Amino acid sequence: MSNPAHRRSVITGIGVVAPNGTGTGAFWKQTQEGVSVLDRVTREGCENLPLRVAGEVRDFDPVASVEERYLVQTDRFTHYAMAAADLALDDARLGRADYEDTPFKVGVVTAAGSGGGEFGQRELERLWGQGPRFVGPYQSIAWFYAASTGQISIRGGFKGPCAVVASDEAGGLDALMHAARSVRGGTDALVVGAAEAPLAPYSVVCQLGYEDLSACDEPTRAYRPFTADACGFVPAEGGAMLVVEEETAARGRGARVRAEIAGHCATFTGAGRWEQSRQGLARAVEGALREAGCAPEEIDVVFADALGVPAADRAEAGALADALGAHGRRVPVTAPKTGIGRAYCGAPVLDVSAAVLAMEHGLIPPTPNVFEVCHDLDLVTVRARPAQLRTALVLSRGLMGSNSALVLRRPTDTPD
Amino acid sequence: MPDRLTYEELAALMKSGAGLTVDASEMESSPGSAFEEYGLDSLGLLGIVAALENRYGRPLPADADRCKTPGEFLDLVNTTLTGV
Repeated sequence: MSNPAHRRSVITGIGVVAPNGTGTGAFWKQTQEGVSVLDRVTREGCENLPLRVAGEVRDFDPVASVEERYLVQTDRFTHYAMAAADLALDDARLGRADYEDTPFKVGVVTAAGSGGGEFGQRELERLWGQGPRFVGPYQSIAWFYAASTGQISIRGGFKGPCAVVASDEAGGLDALMHAARSVRGGTDALVVGAAEAPLAPYSVVCQLGYEDLSACDEPTRAYRPFTADACGFVPAEGGAMLVVEEETAARGRGARVRAEIAGHCATFTGAGRWEQSRQGLARAVEGALREAGCAPEEIDVVFADALGVPAADRAEAGALADALGAHGRRVPVTAPKTGIGRAYCGAPVLDVSAAVLAMEHGLIPPTPNVFEVCHDLDLVTVRARPAQLRTALVLSRGLMGSNSALVLRRPTDTPD
Repeated sequence: MPDRLTYEELAALMKSGAGLTVDASEMESSPGSAFEEYGLDSLGLLGIVAALENRYGRPLPADADRCKTPGEFLDLVNTTLTGV
């Protein structure tokens, strides 16, 4: 094995199942056009709950995307993850023939914030409605945070290091860090990311306790971070899976290297302590830059966490100023998630996907539904902004107090 | 006394409980093929045992969920049900 320090992690495949589209083609078209798909919640049993607006995945046919056995044996969050993993593997042109002789060189990492709430609710209803003998055995694995990692691993025959990051939103970025660490340790490829399915009655009721959840019933007004109208966040379902490979192995098999995972850092400042998240997020940015060997001025675009809670937005703007200095007020910042909502752990992985696509297209997607910015930030609004992008910074914070930052770079052999 | 469990019923239980589409006549013609070959794992068989116990209102032997093949499983279930 080569020197671990020389084993760089690169993204070679992207698979998206998002409220604004399945597959990177549909996702990028809607994202760069700044289309908002936030809408009234329509899921059965959720219509009369106080959560009015969410980002539902509607352009997804589970029957066409995953085998029937997984429809019966796993939860919706796993259906999304399996479908996204397939899309990512296709995108990376990584097939069984590439790894059937070296299955221990390919691993799986997912992040999960809540597991399979819809499946779990159905089985718990059987428990209390009919009795314990009517609870199906697949409940033992389907609800579980690790379900998607396990099913993707078994289905694909990936026998390398497998893990699940059970965390809040920032876990999506931490999963990528975990994958990069596996690559340094000798793994050649990982299927990594997160997809969530929090829009079922039990899951929604659990979220109603979050004081940062938007109670607004107007889809265009419910999620407006960095404005004076900020009134909380809108949840979403879906997410993204990526194929991350050791760079030499990827190039050796002729894969298209789309971006390098150059640096990452995570900190923790406690649930709901948004003022303190300023320092935590700034430290995460500084740590990620240090690992990437990247000066603040090299950051060409920031994909913000953009919670939509005034204290949290203020802390994020402050963190950028603290960590990037004067560049923090000049660098273009965007938050495309205002058009689709926050898919918990899936949200930052969708942002990483958008960041890679933005670098490839030389176009910073806008922040839908946001117009009057009340912080000292160059937030990209209304329409996409052309820009030469070599380095992107992706930020994520979680409701439970995690802060995470990830630096992505275009591969050095990419022409401008 | 309930009727004997048939291969058709077993195939239907594999479909509803584990999402597997299995040809009953194929299973009947090679009863010694392992459940594994049809994609049924141990959790899937456990679910079928529970469904049958609920249907018949009586327990199956403790080792029912350890049967390896459809033939073995049907023999055990039908022996229990008919007392033969």
